[in-house]
Amino acid sequence: MSAVIKYIPDWIIFIQAFIAFSVPLLLYFLYTKLYHFVGKTPSPNVNRPNEKKEPDEVNVPFTGSFEKDMEIIQELIGGNCDFRTREFTMAKLNRRAILVYVDGMQNDRLLNVKVLEYLMFEATAEDMGLPLKAAELLPFESLIEAGDIGAFNRSVLFGHTGLIIEGFPKGLLIELPDGANRAVTEPVSEALLRGPRLGFTEVLSENTSMLRRQGFTDQLVMKTYRVGTRLKKDLVIAYMKDIVNEDLLREVDSRIEKMNMDFLAESGYVEQLIEDNYLSPFQQVQNTERPDRVINEIVAGRIGILLDGTPFALIVPATFTMLLQSPEDYYERWLPSTLLRMLRFLAAFLALMAPALYISLISFHPGLIPTELAITIIETRQGVPFPSLIEVLILEVAIEILREAGIRLPKPIGPAMGIVGGLIIGDAAVQAGIVSPFLVIVVAVTAISSFSIPTYSAGFTLRLLRFVGMIFAAVLGMYGTILFFLLMCSHLTKLKSFGVPYLTPLTPYRLQDWKDIFLRVPFTLMKKRPAMFKTRNRRKST
Amino acid sequence: MFKRNDDKITASQATIFLTNTVLGAGILTMPRSVTQAMDSPDSWITILIGGFVIMPVILLMVRLCLKFQGQTIFEFAGKIVGKWPGKILCLLLILYFIIIAGFEIRTLAEVGLFFLLEGTPIWAIVLPFIWAGTYLVSGGINSIARVYQIIFPITILFLIVSYGFSLRIFDFSNLRPSLGDGIMPLLKGLKSSILIYTGCEVVMIIVAFMENPKQATKAMLGGIAIPFGLYFLTIVLVVGGLSINTVITSTWPTIDLIRSFEITGFFVERLEFPLMVIWLMQMFCNFCSFFFQASLGVSQLFKVSYQTMIFIMVPLIFLSTMVPKSRQDLFALGDAIGMMGVWLFLLTTVLLSLVWWIRVKGLKQHV
Amino acid sequence: MLLLILLSFLLLTGCWSSKEIEDLALYAGLALDVGQPAPVEEEFEAKGATYSKKNKVMATIQIVPTKSTSGDEKKKMIAPKHYINISASGDSILEIFRQFSIRRDRPIIGHHLKVIVINSDLLKKQTIEQLMDFVLRDNDIRPSTLVFISRGKAQNTLISSQPNEIPAFHIYGMIRNRSRTSKVIQAVTLSKLDGLMYSKRSLVLQNLETAKGETEFSGVGIIKGSTGHWIGNLNQEDTEGLAWIKNEGHAGVIKTYDRDNEPITYEIKSMKSKTKVHVNDGKIAFHVSIKTEGRLIEIWNSKGHYTKDESNIKEVEELFKAKLKQTIDELMHKLQSVYKVDVAGFGEALALKDPRLWKSIKDDWDDLFSKTEVTFDYELKITEFGSFTDE
Repeated sequence: MSAVIKYIPDWIIFIQAFIAFSVPLLLYFLYTKLYHFVGKTPSPNVNRPNEKKEPDEVNVPFTGSFEKDMEIIQELIGGNCDFRTREFTMAKLNRRAILVYVDGMQNDRLLNVKVLEYLMFEATAEDMGLPLKAAELLPFESLIEAGDIGAFNRSVLFGHTGLIIEGFPKGLLIELPDGANRAVTEPVSEALLRGPRLGFTEVLSENTSMLRRQGFTDQLVMKTYRVGTRLKKDLVIAYMKDIVNEDLLREVDSRIEKMNMDFLAESGYVEQLIEDNYLSPFQQVQNTERPDRVINEIVAGRIGILLDGTPFALIVPATFTMLLQSPEDYYERWLPSTLLRMLRFLAAFLALMAPALYISLISFHPGLIPTELAITIIETRQGVPFPSLIEVLILEVAIEILREAGIRLPKPIGPAMGIVGGLIIGDAAVQAGIVSPFLVIVVAVTAISSFSIPTYSAGFTLRLLRFVGMIFAAVLGMYGTILFFLLMCSHLTKLKSFGVPYLTPLTPYRLQDWKDIFLRVPFTLMKKRPAMFKTRNRRKST
Repeated sequence: MFKRNDDKITASQATIFLTNTVLGAGILTMPRSVTQAMDSPDSWITILIGGFVIMPVILLMVRLCLKFQGQTIFEFAGKIVGKWPGKILCLLLILYFIIIAGFEIRTLAEVGLFFLLEGTPIWAIVLPFIWAGTYLVSGGINSIARVYQIIFPITILFLIVSYGFSLRIFDFSNLRPSLGDGIMPLLKGLKSSILIYTGCEVVMIIVAFMENPKQATKAMLGGIAIPFGLYFLTIVLVVGGLSINTVITSTWPTIDLIRSFEITGFFVERLEFPLMVIWLMQMFCNFCSFFFQASLGVSQLFKVSYQTMIFIMVPLIFLSTMVPKSRQDLFALGDAIGMMGVWLFLLTTVLLSLVWWIRVKGLKQHV
Repeated sequence: MLLLILLSFLLLTGCWSSKEIEDLALYAGLALDVGQPAPVEEEFEAKGATYSKKNKVMATIQIVPTKSTSGDEKKKMIAPKHYINISASGDSILEIFRQFSIRRDRPIIGHHLKVIVINSDLLKKQTIEQLMDFVLRDNDIRPSTLVFISRGKAQNTLISSQPNEIPAFHIYGMIRNRSRTSKVIQAVTLSKLDGLMYSKRSLVLQNLETAKGETEFSGVGIIKGSTGHWIGNLNQEDTEGLAWIKNEGHAGVIKTYDRDNEPITYEIKSMKSKTKVHVNDGKIAFHVSIKTEGRLIEIWNSKGHYTKDESNIKEVEELFKAKLKQTIDELMHKLQSVYKVDVAGFGEALALKDPRLWKSIKDDWDDLFSKTEVTFDYELKITEFGSFTDE
């Protein structure tokens, strides 16, 4: 009995046990609270009936009376300084008509020469087929009828050219908006050496056309949504009808429907509104500027989401391995691609862990460093006044600032600034004895590694986590670093993107999917689509 | 179904689950415990015998489980021997799991303190470890199995590389002579060579979670074959590299093996660094496995929510970690755990199988 | 708020085991000598800075690198030495080490200890078990550390006249020359020593001699297993003989004199030996067959009767064989008659052949060995004459 009593721990242990108990509990509640708090904001399902009716959504039908309609239009939107009207008489018809448009959003030459000329001098009664069932008869490529004045007004202000003809109780929208646009250029954020130079633009119709132009098929489906509660925008989801998994499609559909935001400025809004876990540092939706990348993923069974007004398309579901893959892997031959992929995994590891390893080795485990190296480090670190954590933080933060500054700087001086910052500050810091030269190498390797990640936003995640890892390492050394790695693994295994576990196909082992993760085996061996999406049509080739 | 059924694991996951549960602290201390008991270089034969002894044990467990598809021992024990005896049996099993979990962490803390973090208070090592485990275990068996699958290849890779380099001090004559003292030492060492498979009781839980129970036998045998192979490799290399005399006097012979040579000019001159890393990760897996089983057991036994049970388990495991007062206590506890394992095996597997067999075959009852 | 708590937590606890590497002093070499207060210590003690101890052993550690003044590169250039040796004596190695902590500003760590040199006189007074106990138990010191013996003062081996050299690393590196000569025995690491000591086997450690700041491997020192004391040294040629018998050599030379008393030299390309054990009614006998191939590499005799014909080669081979035989006979005489220890691996051979018999006699094997009959046969073959030909 006394032997048992001897082993009953003293009260300090019990207090520690209590701490052991309370901390995870506390964290758990904090997490759920925070999760619900963040998750509540968009509150997708709640239909607020009083707000649903937007005040400016006037649904006044066209009266049919030319003056009256014009009056209402003038009253509603005539106050805009860029609002233009051009009234004229259709010669052969002898009716009054008016073109309504917003300055600068049409092709002026076309408007003046073609449209006016036609309407004023050529359009005949037969053409217009009075009483008007004009739609089919007018020689305009794009012609939409607006049923009520509210819709008409919105379209006009969005850039359509509106046409109202006396005696015709509808507004016609005859010309598509042609605002200031950017030319199609090479994607800036994902430059490749080999591969299409085509990048998405800000115009949705151009983007969808780029996808269409990738190849003949009648299975590529594009479905349009109107998103945004106040400023509405078009959003298109694209998928292969015979490949995509039905459940995934339904999930995406419902999440897009549930989005509740008055304005979606960029696809980043969409990304953040439809992702699974708001609190995860990992992105669960892939973004890209490259049509070829989107179409590749669509053919693999994923779904592309394109939003008007941004060159960044989204791909769901995203998995961890996607972040480290580049389309070029498939354009180059398989051996170099495989090598590059492994290199990228190594780079990702370095970008994440190198500073943490440095701290734990320097501050905690001098015994694990090779002797010669240890002596070199000691010699170079003589006179560095800071512990390694502070030392690393100084340089890491400096590099991050440099990076941020490099983006802001005008193009001509950006690179110069980078060199100045990187070289001179690094060298000066060593000279001044603030940091050791060895650390400069470590930080430089880290920075370069993080640049080699093909997806820019994935680099963000690594940058963020790097600092977390450094703190872990500073408290518990190697042990802390391992804990950090384990926690990260645990988190990744719990994470899902649209129901697909984030780490597929790393785990559970699907050996045939592995052919395309670490390696990039020859195409002849990749006959099947990834199993992870449970697509309908498994075989790529026969 | 697009969304996975979250309670099921594939055959490969089950295999690795079992491997990771068995492969724990033993790999560092096993060469000493076995060699000490035998005092002969024949320990590798004993390990082989131990492996062949454990195989039928696993088979018996799988057999029993397959009779109750989709049910863990916590669920079917009561059905076989009656509600209360079943509960007591399961409680013993849960207690056993908690003790092992504490033991594994304590071993980890001892090694960590000795080689990596001299001077850090022990709670600072134990607490974060338990918390990290809590985070993983709260994700359920699927998350756990996934983490295992990430860590396992890394472990194997580094272990094999470290062992590969240790061949430079490998001396075959250290393993000879074979059977110089007859077979008596083999029997003496057999006990410790079976004890290293502590934790294989997990079979009676994971089989219930398998997607395809038909593969259970193969998966479980594979799961025990991997640690068996690694143990065999370890004993051969450690004894061959260090000679039995060094092994007997060394507290952590496997680490000492790796510390006994330096690879000058290689990127990492000292391989104990990768060895410690993978061992720590392996211990994490090992610990999470027992943590999971204990929590699951209680939650199934008393119909408590699994999440709640995890939180309640944390302080219990912590206390069980802190009970041993010294490293001597710890090793004694390790042996005791091994003995408990044998008894529990007799109680659970053998007893349950017997009772089941009698009731179904003899009394024609429907269980 | 939480962040603040976390931060303070970090700052408070961030220093448990955290020691910046530059704030530590690595010691790369350890020399153990007969205890006598080091000069500095004597002065300290004269001023009353003492503690209770018996001066049984003097430990010298070699600390690398020395603190160099940072920034100023010119000063670095003229820094005289890259290491510092400090010594102290006492009767507990750990206590001596802790004594260093009250003399140095940086704590010493043993992770990078490469060599341990023990003075042979010290080993006469103390057993090897006593001296090695601490280094085997310590968690910093790796079992890969090499152990040497020195007939002279061990601390002198840690002094080098070369300006840019760290003696401990120098000694550590010298071991690699085993590929060139068999006068260097296979390095004895701590883990190997541990096993040998545990089984009470006699062992040899490489002997270090110093002269004018240079260190040389010279023969081996024998430590008798049953007592743990040093009993004597074998010279360089005996060491070669050991390598022949134990089948541990890789390379080396055999030099002898021809009939004109001019030196001729044989470069060993392969050396192999096989020990056979014969046990008859408890009577043990060994037979060692030695086989070697090599080239005739150096001939001083200019009379030119070294033609490549068969009989000539035979004659030369016999010369070398005789020399080899002489070496080994000398060694066997020392082992069996002078020191009465078996350090040439005969015991192991017996243990493999007949484990039961070995178990019963292993405790007084050294004595038995001195009366055991050992026979040899030699096979030496000259396969080539180098790239120079004088025909």
